[in-house]
Amino acid sequence: MMATDIRSSVWFYRIGFVAIAVALLFFKMLPLGSVAGDWPGPDLMLCLMLAWVTQRPDHLPMGLVAVVVLAEDMILMRPPGLWTALVVIATEFLRARSALTRELAFAAEWLLIAGVMVAMLLAYRLLFAVAFMTQPGFGFAFAQTVGSILMYPVIVWLLRVVLHLRKPAAGEVDGMGRRL
Amino acid sequence: MAKNRTSPDEYTRPLRRIMVAVLVFALLALFLVWRIDSPRVERFRTALVDQMVPSFEWALVPVTKTIDMFESFQSYANLYDQNQELRRELQQMKAWKEAALQLEQKNARLMDLNQVRLDPKLSHVTGVVLADSGSPFRQSVLLNVGARDGVRDGWATMDGIGLVGRISGVGDRTSRVILLTDSNSRIPVIAQPSGQRGLLSGDNTSRPPLEFVEKPDLIRPGDQVVTSGDGGVFPAGLLVGTVVQGNDRRLRVALSADYERLEFLRVLRSHAVDPITDAGSLVAVPASEAPSVLTEAPGQVGP
Repeated sequence: MMATDIRSSVWFYRIGFVAIAVALLFFKMLPLGSVAGDWPGPDLMLCLMLAWVTQRPDHLPMGLVAVVVLAEDMILMRPPGLWTALVVIATEFLRARSALTRELAFAAEWLLIAGVMVAMLLAYRLLFAVAFMTQPGFGFAFAQTVGSILMYPVIVWLLRVVLHLRKPAAGEVDGMGRRL
Repeated sequence: MAKNRTSPDEYTRPLRRIMVAVLVFALLALFLVWRIDSPRVERFRTALVDQMVPSFEWALVPVTKTIDMFESFQSYANLYDQNQELRRELQQMKAWKEAALQLEQKNARLMDLNQVRLDPKLSHVTGVVLADSGSPFRQSVLLNVGARDGVRDGWATMDGIGLVGRISGVGDRTSRVILLTDSNSRIPVIAQPSGQRGLLSGDNTSRPPLEFVEKPDLIRPGDQVVTSGDGGVFPAGLLVGTVVQGNDRRLRVALSADYERLEFLRVLRSHAVDPITDAGSLVAVPASEAPSVLTEAPGQVGP
């Protein structure tokens, strides 16, 4: 039976995702003397979620994504709910196009993800401006998005090597015999 | 076969769209509530952080120490140069120490002569930095002291030398310090010999600018900046840093506190200054009572 293999269980991957998210949050919060004005690193959490949803949309249900990002919003002192809403919209957008991205070459997928990330940044900044909130300089915030875009292939590669996470091949079925 | 492929999806897709819309709407509503009634949501956030972060303390502290250790191993490489430099600095410092000792004795004598009492209420609680803000766009740290140690919102926080920030958000076991470099930080300061008052407003760079200075020409790079105590939130006279001129020709402040090594922070207990509500009966006598004072005065002098 396929179901006896732990890797074939969706719940294994879901718990794995939550564990990785907690670890990322934990390392972000370590007080290692990051000084104001340092260049911001890539948003690994965003890379991880977009990569995961593109590879295997069935692993990350909408609710799980929302809960994890909302917790991140709360703990990282961001305005609660705003970034979560954008991430939910982005992941749903990619989920709806999973049939398309399955057939795309990686370069095209990367371009699509880059477009989604830039759109998220612009929407986030627009909503900040609408709500009259102070926000960091555009170049500063854009540097983070560029970092995330450059980091995306690395995350996809890591997911593939470490978790054997890849797009299902044509005609592949899950443990219950349903088409993926 | 084509029929089989689309069958389960066809029915769930519209339902799914509605669910996404409801979730996104709820999240945006949460954001709106936060924007309108921020204190309530922030209290919830503080309580959440207060619950979650201390439970990771057992892991946060050792991992931080280990990474710090590796970083200090790297600095052993240039140990010799550092040593030479420190020796040179030590020579200079010895001269300063002599001067400081003499000044201290002089100060003690003068205080004794004037019978000065230092404010006994100004004491402090020391906290350990538990966690960073975790985001490159927010500058704050989380301390392991909170409401149970008597910490209150708005108190000043210093490291050994200079002002670091102000308490904003107190949980039971933790409290958050908004650093002076955060873009939400505004502290009234005074530049020292010229006495020009201004506002130190963080802008997410390591050197926050001085704003709203009446005569910026009077301030020179190298002047000392201390808190002014305007607004009654902060105690006056805490060292903040020295004035420098930024690349954009604005006056900025190089902070005295060592922001790269925020480990132990002092939270100064500042007690609310009693607000002065009445005009003061001695300084300004109310118009209605003024004549009665005048009429009685000659009567008393008479006998």
